[in-house]
Amino acid sequence: MTGDLGVTDAFAGAGTVFRRELATVLRTPGYGVLGVGLLAVLWLLVAVGGGGATGFVPAVVDLLLPAELLVPLLAVVLGYRALLADAVSGEFAVIRTYPVGVAGYVVGVLLARLVALVAVIGLPFAVIGGYVWLTAAPDTGIFATHAGVDSPLLYVRFLALITLFGTVFLALSMWVSAAATSRRGAAALAVLAFLVGTLGGDLALIQSLMVGADPSAVAGRAALTPNGAFRGLVFETVIGVSFAQEGNVVDVGRAVGSLAGWTLFGSLASVGTLAFRERLSTVIERSRFRFAE
Amino acid sequence: MAILDPYSDRSRAVLAWVVIFAAIVGFVVAGAFLSDPAANAPDPVKYDDTVELGLSTETDSLMSDSGRIPRVQVFYSQLQYVIGYNGVESFVDRLDDGYTERRFGYPLVAYVETFDGTEPGTTEAGLFTAAESRPSSWTSAEEAVYVIDSEARTPAGETVIPFSSRDAATAFTGSHGGEIVDWAELRTRSFDVDSGAVARAMAPERWKVADRRITAAERTADRPVSVTVGEDAETISAAVDAAPPNTTVVVPSGSYEERINVTKPITIAGADAHVSGGGNGSVITVRAPNVTITGLTIDDTGNRTRDPEAAQRRAKEAAQGNETESWDTNIQLGYGYGDAGIRGLGSPGLFIDDVTIDTSASGVLLRDGSDSVLRDIEVNGTAEWDDGFMGITGMESRVTVTNGTFTNGRDGIYLHRADGSIVRNSTFRENRYGVHLMYTGDALIADNSFRDEIFAGITVMTRPARNAIVGNDVRGSAAGIQSSGTLTYIGYNTLAHNDLGFSTSSRGSLYEHNVVVENEEGARATTVVPASRVVANDFVENDRHAGAGAGPLRVWADGDRGNYWEGANAGLHEPGERAYRPTSPIDAALHREPAVVALRESPVNELLERLRGTVAGARSGSIIDPAPAPEPYAPDRVAAAADPNGTAVHADWRAQIDDRSHAARQLDDQPMTVAGQNATQPNWGTEPNERAAVQEASL
Repeated sequence: MTGDLGVTDAFAGAGTVFRRELATVLRTPGYGVLGVGLLAVLWLLVAVGGGGATGFVPAVVDLLLPAELLVPLLAVVLGYRALLADAVSGEFAVIRTYPVGVAGYVVGVLLARLVALVAVIGLPFAVIGGYVWLTAAPDTGIFATHAGVDSPLLYVRFLALITLFGTVFLALSMWVSAAATSRRGAAALAVLAFLVGTLGGDLALIQSLMVGADPSAVAGRAALTPNGAFRGLVFETVIGVSFAQEGNVVDVGRAVGSLAGWTLFGSLASVGTLAFRERLSTVIERSRFRFAE
Repeated sequence: MAILDPYSDRSRAVLAWVVIFAAIVGFVVAGAFLSDPAANAPDPVKYDDTVELGLSTETDSLMSDSGRIPRVQVFYSQLQYVIGYNGVESFVDRLDDGYTERRFGYPLVAYVETFDGTEPGTTEAGLFTAAESRPSSWTSAEEAVYVIDSEARTPAGETVIPFSSRDAATAFTGSHGGEIVDWAELRTRSFDVDSGAVARAMAPERWKVADRRITAAERTADRPVSVTVGEDAETISAAVDAAPPNTTVVVPSGSYEERINVTKPITIAGADAHVSGGGNGSVITVRAPNVTITGLTIDDTGNRTRDPEAAQRRAKEAAQGNETESWDTNIQLGYGYGDAGIRGLGSPGLFIDDVTIDTSASGVLLRDGSDSVLRDIEVNGTAEWDDGFMGITGMESRVTVTNGTFTNGRDGIYLHRADGSIVRNSTFRENRYGVHLMYTGDALIADNSFRDEIFAGITVMTRPARNAIVGNDVRGSAAGIQSSGTLTYIGYNTLAHNDLGFSTSSRGSLYEHNVVVENEEGARATTVVPASRVVANDFVENDRHAGAGAGPLRVWADGDRGNYWEGANAGLHEPGERAYRPTSPIDAALHREPAVVALRESPVNELLERLRGTVAGARSGSIIDPAPAPEPYAPDRVAAAADPNGTAVHADWRAQIDDRSHAARQLDDQPMTVAGQNATQPNWGTEPNERAAVQEASL
């Protein structure tokens, strides 16, 4: 077994782990069902909302708030047992007997789960975009029409933001899976992560306003939470283009940085937690060995 | 999962493809964020294909005088349709109204018609004119230069003339005066642009105009008696022939069978006299000014409703290439030439008072400038409306009707090119249309009552301007009010138990304080591009409060003042706190089914509803009222409208409008010109779909 990526020891074996994890994902038919289910829900939302009948921007308006809940939910479902399963079954310990670093292991799993995320979440959203592209049309052809600022590129921006947003929750739920010690514990922690992630940030922000924080700080602070950053970016780069802009909804650089930062944080925390638990179990084993001696 | 086995070599190839695909995706995503969707400004389109707002280019004075209105076409960021403005000033006025942008987004690009090298100038009447440039020349509004304050006018007043080069503009100011400004400077100017509020402000004044016309007619009618039928002459005709001008012919009670021609200004005063026409032709024909006819009952007219050869004659002329007149010529030629109880042919000042007519064709037929006053007139038509014709047919004649009763006509009152006409306090029953206007602007239709009309109570076709339809009560009809046109005021009407209450077909108009009760559909948004205000109406107990045809989302409110929708306040929120969408299946059922209240509170409905008001222009086929009223605006009229056979109710609109007009005048200091009835020119024009409707209706 050689490190496919040929980088430092820490990432040794990431490629192999990636392929192994991808196989795991592919052998989980539930994820396929999840993607199809999401597609159905999105299609209903677009049909009931009606925005998709005329263009991409109104379709995004209809999908934005549901996406804020659905994307984290599905990302958490994809991630909350990713690292736990191997740990519980003891496979992780076996893997560690090969030249595979903890970081390489986490990166491999994360990348494979990211592929799953793109397939399970990104693909249904993309299909909806294609559907809007094919069906959106003016109500009547009597008069000359034009697209306004509406464009498929705006929907591509939305897809990219959806994926980035999902990645954040995937990385955070990986951390949950690293920290949990049982399936039940992982499920409970995952629900907690979902609730804190989707509601907590905005709640904290509103609370800070209640106790007298300066509203001018909202643009910066909203960008700090994943949901605030995502919503702000969609307003700023997708929906907002059809308005004459007056000031920014969110600080774009800070929002993108925040999403990337949360992803990095989740990944590093997963690596750290796994490494710590490995060390811990080594210590325990060692002391048990001494005790037995 | 044999399709993709991560351990096989084939799978490695697949992975390689995935990497390439990911690279492409990355490239597309980067491109999506780097590109500017607003950068690709669309090219100008054919002006005829735009959705037109503002003045019409086809006003009568323009057509007759070869005048032009500089045009603008605008591509808004959220709206799929291209908006055409007649008059640069109407576009500039809309830029800052804070209303258009919320509905259509910001203008991506605007093109103005420029007149370089088209010999721009003025007509004798001072209207702006220019040669047709082919292809017409469109210049980006930001690049054009503009001549303001020149002597050139449009029928609406001062106008802005755009040029693409400063030299051409300078040449124009050299001969016609004015000042040259660029776009940035022009934007800061303000212009007086009419809206439906003008017709509202003028409505009470028009009521007084009717009073004055009636008083004047009474004065003219009061003439010394010269001849009495039965004493001084055998027949009415003989008496009329014998009477000197400006005297009165008295027709005592009794029955007369004759057809009468009046060719001098006299008064024919019947006292319960009954005149029969013998079933052929018209009974009384007036060909002189200032004739008065009172106190007669007329029947047994001929049954020719119109000239059947008009259409053929027109076709023949068209075949010979003589088609210079407008397309409605066959209506003018045909409709003005049928039989009637009383015919006025070039008879201005005709006063018909206290007359009853039973007719097989028209009751009263007026043409060629027979400006008339009709008071206490009753016209009964045929049992089937398509056997007979109109209660009153008015062609190119300004008609004032008060206290009329019109039953079983094709149309109770049909007016064609009859600007400034007034119909008030009249009763209509079982006609095809109660009041039907074509090419007729600056009219007032007020405080009438309509029952069981087969097509509609009031209909306005073609594109006239500044009509006021106020205080009417329409029940049991296919439609209450269907008015096309521009700058119309439709207010204080009570529309109940109809298939459709009213449609918003008139553009740039104001629909307010209407009570819409127990109709199948309360109101229908019909114009493709919303440019009207619908506010302070009461919608109660309709099957559907409102529906929408093709076009973007309509916002029915004026700022934070909305309409009253029964059911909108159901649920746990404060009344008026929550937007109401009459076109949403959930909101539409709120006033019928209490269980829907809970469904409305469902998270998914909340999520979908929350941002709906954004990008209004890009949405389709729906209506939203962001601020529904907590209470009905006119609870008394709502209660009175519950009875399909109840007596008509009329709001005290003259007092209320007067109050508000004064308030408005003080607020924004905008002069609301109450011009003479014919001083302001109405706007004619047709759209392709309207034309079809008109032709269908005139069959």
